[in-house]
Amino acid sequence: MTSYLDASLPTRSEHLWRYTPWSRVHPTKVDELPTIGEVVVESEDTVLKIVPKRSIQHGNDIARIFLDEVLENTHILALENETNHVHIRAGGHAVAAHIHIESKQSSSVMFHLTGEAEWVGLWLTGNILPNSQLSVGLINELSTDTVLVRTDNWNVERDGDFELATLSLGGQRIKSDIRTTLSGSNSNHKQFIAVHGHGTRHDDHHVEIHHQQPHSNSKLTVNAACDDRSHSVGTGALTIDDDAQHTDAGQIFRNLLLSPSARAEAIPELEVMANEVAAAHGAASAPIDSTQMHYLMSRGLSQEEATAMLVEGFLVDSFVEVRSDSVREAMQTRLTVHLECQLLG
Amino acid sequence: MTQDAQEAVGDYRYGFHDPESATIRFDKGLSEQVVRDISELKNEPEWMTDIRVKAYKHFVEREMPTWGNCDSLEGINFDNVTYFLRSSDKTEKNWDDVPEDIKRTFDRLGIPEAEQKWLGGVTAQYESEAVYHSIREDLEEQGVIFLDMDSGLKEYPELVKKYFGTVVPHSDNKFSALNTAVWSGGSFIYVPKGIHVEMPVQAYFRINAKNMGQFERTLIIADEGSSLHYVEGCTAPTYSTDSLHSAVVELIAMEGAKIRYSTVQNWSANVYNLVTKRGVAHKNATVEWVDGNIGSKLTMKYPSVLLKGEGAHAEIISVAYAGTGQHQDAGAKVHHLAPNTTSNILSKSISKGGGRSSYRGMLQVTPKANGCRSKVVCDALMLDEDSRSDTYPTMEIGNSTADLEHEASVSKISGDQLFYLMSRGHSEEEAMGLIVNGFFEPFTRELPMEYAVELNRLLELEMEGSIG
Repeated sequence: MTSYLDASLPTRSEHLWRYTPWSRVHPTKVDELPTIGEVVVESEDTVLKIVPKRSIQHGNDIARIFLDEVLENTHILALENETNHVHIRAGGHAVAAHIHIESKQSSSVMFHLTGEAEWVGLWLTGNILPNSQLSVGLINELSTDTVLVRTDNWNVERDGDFELATLSLGGQRIKSDIRTTLSGSNSNHKQFIAVHGHGTRHDDHHVEIHHQQPHSNSKLTVNAACDDRSHSVGTGALTIDDDAQHTDAGQIFRNLLLSPSARAEAIPELEVMANEVAAAHGAASAPIDSTQMHYLMSRGLSQEEATAMLVEGFLVDSFVEVRSDSVREAMQTRLTVHLECQLLG
Repeated sequence: MTQDAQEAVGDYRYGFHDPESATIRFDKGLSEQVVRDISELKNEPEWMTDIRVKAYKHFVEREMPTWGNCDSLEGINFDNVTYFLRSSDKTEKNWDDVPEDIKRTFDRLGIPEAEQKWLGGVTAQYESEAVYHSIREDLEEQGVIFLDMDSGLKEYPELVKKYFGTVVPHSDNKFSALNTAVWSGGSFIYVPKGIHVEMPVQAYFRINAKNMGQFERTLIIADEGSSLHYVEGCTAPTYSTDSLHSAVVELIAMEGAKIRYSTVQNWSANVYNLVTKRGVAHKNATVEWVDGNIGSKLTMKYPSVLLKGEGAHAEIISVAYAGTGQHQDAGAKVHHLAPNTTSNILSKSISKGGGRSSYRGMLQVTPKANGCRSKVVCDALMLDEDSRSDTYPTMEIGNSTADLEHEASVSKISGDQLFYLMSRGHSEEEAMGLIVNGFFEPFTRELPMEYAVELNRLLELEMEGSIG
């Protein structure tokens, strides 16, 4: 395997690194391999097993090569027909964790990511076995100065069903690269991402979904509300292999720009090599609807309250299709609390 | 045509070639001396020679582009290209004076007939330079300038100097640098204030020689409140070795002006078609690109519009047909630089026989561009399981008041539509042809009728043998 110091650094012409170069999210300098501490990972129910780091395919991605080299352990979360909450607490200078989920039957897990570390690396992996269902939710409430590098690798096998929801509220600079492979026929995947940009947050979500087998379905929804001087980036890469006939795949990216200095980028890419498919994507960007604003303000809400309510409605809408009640409710509750806190300053 | 030649040409009806009868032909390969020789041969002013040399140096140093299907560009051997070939000593104004062999080619392409019927003016470019050029007298009297670019530089040097390279500078990309260094031919058009050119003007570009590079340069300026429709067609013979077409087109629409630029590109499947097309729209001006890509081995073409003035509008309609061995990497770029600017992009593509079609787009809204609106729609049809369709849209939004939409879909021909047409007596092949023509209809209805008919015939030819 390529070692980090021998690996070639990505250029900005690469789709993945166009808006958030690796140098901006590396914990120190790109030609260094600093010592990285461990994140505290605690499960409310299931016992987490810690084993020496499992080797993972990094696909020549620089962030994965880096994490592969600095991580020492893997946290194994074995779920069987249960609902679980896992707290990931990041303290210190630079910390990282690799969490691998082994799931059977129908399970769900909520990750709560908090802490004040300067740099956090998080690698989530999992295999959704044939005929099993897994719902994963992740709420990022890191401190306002934290840099987060998140990489995900998920594999969905035959008749597997996987949903992944992300609520991104915290951190200063976020680079998430979430990759899902639908390697089994009749597999299903739904992914929901809601981003609230405030202050000078820079939140970059890259989502790759790869259909390898026939009759596989996927749906991606990304809603980003950007306020102040925040910057949201959403890039998608949907690939349908020539064997993956009868695939139904869709991606939608929506941006709501709340301030004159906020920025948003959307690049939903589509590569289709099979002809018997339905593949579509859409992207939209717009300011707050003045009619809705007028309606709420005419009922006595201040401009800030009306804006918060519309933002909440816009972001909550990302999660309406989440099947797991525990994941959906956790997402909606945290979002409401976050926006109320913002409103109260 | 001999039987062998016929076989080589296949279904491509413009695949014939005439014996080369060059009066001047440069050796293959590019150097500073070649650039200077081209300029000297054309008796150009010193400032143009300097621009060419500067561009050549930039071309040598510049990396290959990273936007597009860049891996395919490695097949280009710049040393095996002829950069200048003159087939006729002068540009004729009378069709009868055009050299017989060249006239025969354009007769077969139907140029003189089209001119008589419906064109305001025509330029026919054969290899590196224009061989025939004419403009209707009434337009000339109104002060409309329509010349080939070489004559434009000779007769209106100040106008060319003022605008040349202002929209697409030589440093824009490697291929714009190459074009600026070795450009030859193309069209130069100036429409004075308030003049509306009712009939389209046309240029026809033909590569005849093997391993030829055609580097035409087109500059169109529509002064305040004027309008123009420019149409270009392109063909080349089918050889076993590759040719290179690397044009630069610059459009300038002044306040309230409108330019529509229509292209039906039908290069043979051995041509690399790498074109930089860009327009600037000033206050309340409109720039429209109507762009059809049927031929070529690889097309990388992303017509662009810089919406520089308040209220400016861009309209881009692009269709692509990718058959066996072809990659149509086409798209559109619109930069909203001023408030209340609007744009519409419609892209349609068909992939068949292992062909690959890609939409690659850029939609940018800068912080100063308040109240912009834009809509992008990409539809792709896949006709068989060997083909491929990609969509790579980019939206960069730096203004909170912008209202933008993008949607794309990839599908196959609907079984219901096929069944309906076949139940009314059409064969499967005819039914597919009708559906494909209908799919491209938003594009063909924007073309002058003769072009629309021609395009439908070309598509029918391409669709032949698509069943079984």
